[in-house]
Amino acid sequence: MTDPFTMLVGGFAHVLGGGAIWHALWAVLVGIVIGALPGLTATMGVALLTTLTFGMGPNVAMLVLVCVYVGAIYGGSRSAILLNIPGTPASAASTLDGFPLARQGLAGRAMGISTSGSWLGTLFGTAILALFAPSFGEFALQFGSYEMAWVALFGIVIAGSLSGGDALKGYIAGFLGLFVATIGQEANHAYARFAYGSADLAGGLGLLPVLVGVFGVAEVLSAMSGPAVKAVASKIDSVIPRLADVTQYWKTILRSGALGTFIGAMPGLGEDIAAWTSYAAAKRASKEKEKFGRGSIEGLMAAETGESACVPGAIIPVLTLAVPGSAPAAVLMAAMMIHGLNPGPMLAITTPEFIYQIVAMLIVADMVKMFYGLVLVRPLLWILLIPRERLMPIVFVLCTVGSFAITSRLFDIWVMLGAGLVGFVLRQLRFPMAPLVLGIVLGDLLDKNLLRGLVLSGGDVTPFFTRPISMGLCALTLLAALWSVPSFAMLFRRRRVAP
Amino acid sequence: MSEAEAESPFEGEKAPASPRADLVTAAVLFALGAAIVQQSFAMPRFVEQSGTGLTAPGIVPGFYGVVIALLSLLLGLRAIGRGGWAARGEASTRGDGRRLATAAALGVLYAGVLVGRLPFWLASALFVAAFTTAFEWDQGPGGRVRRIVEAAAIGLATGIAVMLVFERLFLLRLP
Repeated sequence: MTDPFTMLVGGFAHVLGGGAIWHALWAVLVGIVIGALPGLTATMGVALLTTLTFGMGPNVAMLVLVCVYVGAIYGGSRSAILLNIPGTPASAASTLDGFPLARQGLAGRAMGISTSGSWLGTLFGTAILALFAPSFGEFALQFGSYEMAWVALFGIVIAGSLSGGDALKGYIAGFLGLFVATIGQEANHAYARFAYGSADLAGGLGLLPVLVGVFGVAEVLSAMSGPAVKAVASKIDSVIPRLADVTQYWKTILRSGALGTFIGAMPGLGEDIAAWTSYAAAKRASKEKEKFGRGSIEGLMAAETGESACVPGAIIPVLTLAVPGSAPAAVLMAAMMIHGLNPGPMLAITTPEFIYQIVAMLIVADMVKMFYGLVLVRPLLWILLIPRERLMPIVFVLCTVGSFAITSRLFDIWVMLGAGLVGFVLRQLRFPMAPLVLGIVLGDLLDKNLLRGLVLSGGDVTPFFTRPISMGLCALTLLAALWSVPSFAMLFRRRRVAP
Repeated sequence: MSEAEAESPFEGEKAPASPRADLVTAAVLFALGAAIVQQSFAMPRFVEQSGTGLTAPGIVPGFYGVVIALLSLLLGLRAIGRGGWAARGEASTRGDGRRLATAAALGVLYAGVLVGRLPFWLASALFVAAFTTAFEWDQGPGGRVRRIVEAAAIGLATGIAVMLVFERLFLLRLP
């Protein structure tokens, strides 16, 4: 096997060759614009852009999608700082200190902090990915059907517990997603489940139309039914990041980077949780707690570093376990499958260089993001002011194209519409969307491995609980489920406080 | 985590759904879970092929159906505990029903009816123009004609741009 350094150099050569840098330039820009526009999320951006990459080679396609992902998470902070509206849910924490800074006439400085924090966060997370993903991938080779079934179940439970406030609704959303994934022909007997004689349903519900519906159509409906967004004009000073802001808060940056990457690597949690957790940890450790919420540089730095470190973190389980760490990573994983790349434990054996190519893509995306962070402020202000009445129908048209393009079936457009309406209703009823998406993505993994495990053991369920790694995963899943029971969490906290 | 949870504006924490809404949702989901279990049970078992019946297609969805039914039962009980049974139905204060209905109707009309029947660029142009005009109508009669002309121009530009970018540049098939 080639050594990691050589593979990393090879990864850069691969990514930077053949005009790929041009793709990185436009894709990061598209990502930033999507992220900055309230109502357009990173998940939607990656899902829509997946359509455009069908005609591209797998590596260029992945570069484009990674760039959109990185750009969109960063772009969300533009509107958070300038308009007090998070462009993506991930940027909600940035509004707390970013907007007060803008009101104090320090919008440029806030954007400089956002740029440096986000740049360092992605770099930190990418370093962790490069260091640990290959060895974790090799460890994951020990996972059999029993363990993979637990990994999928753990993903649903942890996403349900932590991603939306109401754990019970999170679990229901996760299992609804798992159910949706069972529609269509199953693998063992090619029996069409829940198809009722329809050839379209027998083919299953396409992952991309469902995701575009849940995140695109539902988002359009939410945006149009809610109150209009009022833009607030902000004066912009220099956007050049200050070295002093970085050196003064290096501990915050490291802490937020580590937290963000870790949360990213947990299935289904995502950038919003990473940003909030990093923000809360920074506040707890800060000597200037009173400044938080009133324009704290440390708070903004923590939120930005955390959310951006989460991006590479969320890709770690995609590459090693085929389990996405966030909703945009779920779409990225779906795109990898569409392009014939097989994420998961076997990646470390079949194409170990791919992990380093992803590392190179993340670094290229991060550098391009930094470039735009310095030059793309005023044009973005203009884009932010496009009224939703003019933007949302265009988004809807793109959703329709995105759903149709993959298999050229009109049925997929109906799937998108249905998923959009159901997703909208579930959102209104306060069901979190991340577990739903994770359920849809992990459905196949759980379905196959659960049955395979049962067949291997002759119907005996004990290997699911007695094999060492299975046992550990089972314990983690139970803990995650118990954590959502308020009395258990209180008990744990009380014990921790008591000496 | 506690501070993050206390301050975060996650949807679930910002404005929880009413207990009555939760109760109705729980009833619908319970019915769905029960239906999934029934349908899964009715699926063939393929015992002759597998010898054990452990590869029966209904096992996994049946398991999901049971979990959905149980969790929705919990949701229903929790809603009752919070007064969902006694509470009167509240009118939703979130959003505007008319705007939502307009957006949904135009979306279904476009994606479900126009697409596939008209050339895609024309269907998209009509949809974007109609959507923008409908939602800008409330801005008053002053400048309405200008707004309608602008909406038509944006629609036409969108239709042509989508066709050029997706069909010519990225070589994708359009509906």
